[in-house]
Amino acid sequence: MDAKLKETILNPIFKGNPITVLVLGICSSLAVTVTLKGALVMALSVIVVTGISSLILSLLRNTIPGRVRIIVQLVVVAMMVILVDQILKSFEATYAIDKQLSVYIGLIITNCIVMGRIEAFALGNKPWPSFLDGIANGAGYGLILIVVAFFRELLGSGTLFGFDILNRFGYVPNNLVILPPFALILLGCIVWVQRSIQKDLQEK
Amino acid sequence: MNTNSNVYTVIYTTVIVVIVAALLAFVSQSLKAKQDANEKAETISQMLTAAQYGTKAELDKLGNAAKLDKYAEEIEKAFVIDLEGKELRELNIDRNELEVYSPKQLKRQNYNIKGGANKTGEPEIPVFIFKNGRTVVPIYGAGLWGPIWGYISFESDLQTIAGAYFDHESETAGLGAKIKDDPSFQAEFKGEKPDFAAPQSEIINIVKGGAPKDAEGKSVVDNSVDAISGATMTSQGLDAAIDTWLEAYAKYFTANKPAKEHCGKCGHHHEGEEVEPKAEEE
Repeated sequence: MDAKLKETILNPIFKGNPITVLVLGICSSLAVTVTLKGALVMALSVIVVTGISSLILSLLRNTIPGRVRIIVQLVVVAMMVILVDQILKSFEATYAIDKQLSVYIGLIITNCIVMGRIEAFALGNKPWPSFLDGIANGAGYGLILIVVAFFRELLGSGTLFGFDILNRFGYVPNNLVILPPFALILLGCIVWVQRSIQKDLQEK
Repeated sequence: MNTNSNVYTVIYTTVIVVIVAALLAFVSQSLKAKQDANEKAETISQMLTAAQYGTKAELDKLGNAAKLDKYAEEIEKAFVIDLEGKELRELNIDRNELEVYSPKQLKRQNYNIKGGANKTGEPEIPVFIFKNGRTVVPIYGAGLWGPIWGYISFESDLQTIAGAYFDHESETAGLGAKIKDDPSFQAEFKGEKPDFAAPQSEIINIVKGGAPKDAEGKSVVDNSVDAISGATMTSQGLDAAIDTWLEAYAKYFTANKPAKEHCGKCGHHHEGEEVEPKAEEE
């Protein structure tokens, strides 16, 4: 694998993370991180949507009329989101999660990461790198989601994936952690940690 | 080829949209059976929650098959009535052919109850009687962003609410969505007595600012519960949905209400009289 492709995959995970560096997809990361299971399903859904939409649009990139390109992107992304939602609804194991995530699966279409990566990368690159870029950006988003959800479920419910962890030791769940503002506080902490490691992100 | 000409643009977008629409229609049709099965199991677990066979979280730990088993085991009788309270037909309670009302069917009946342009026929509303003596009836209406529905169970006196479960399609998370997510809101309905004699809009009142309470914080009005802060429209929608549907059931409830004390004079049989409320299963 050449260095450029490697960079395409690794950059969105840490150095150019869509949430902590590009500050995209904040809204849904506050909403779906109450439980790890929800965050995991959301992360996988976004990975699938960004990856495949980027792939399809990159394949079509030379045929898309410039004036309606945003509309074409929207149609493809909306199709992927509906497909993911339909599939989640069809399986017994994911039906409850889909109900719990309710509108947020449908709102993946408004997640700036998806359209942002298509506009900035997929329309100007070959299908394979575009696909990897989509997957990697979805993964970067998912990684932050899972880190936030880990702390929120552990401290807010005393459980992880629904299994009692802190609850076993008489921990009293903290209700503040369940509420969206705490997700924002946690995100702030993550950005803080990242910027102290990655000095070039610090503003002078 | 000039990808910027008008003809190209129009043809291109048309083709894309047709392909996407065909694909989505195909996927939706092929997954429909599975989705319906999931929805049915969900409806059943909501009814069981309302009838106090456990909390929603406990019932959700059961798989689809186990939910159907539990329902088939616990259901005494299910039937459809008209607005006069007359039984029209029985609903199948055989394990493999369980008949319940999906939110879509409730929507249709909601139009039929309210009348107007969307009415498709005479109202046929379901009643579910469980072996613990509780009677479960559905409600359906409009929230802020989309439909809301739910199930209310009555004790065997057909006057006192034993439990309730509400669900919604797209109410605001953290505010209106609390009708579903907040068990303490649903618990408020326990023990309330809808006032069937009152005008329709006051059968049940969901009161902003809190239901009237005495000095000890106990509710003094039998048919009032606290609304949800920050969710005025959802609370009002739910209030209206409950009022509309309970009024539709009012005649059935009044006609089948067991006599308070056994009166020697009335010789006729009261349905429900022999049903003793069983202990709650937790």
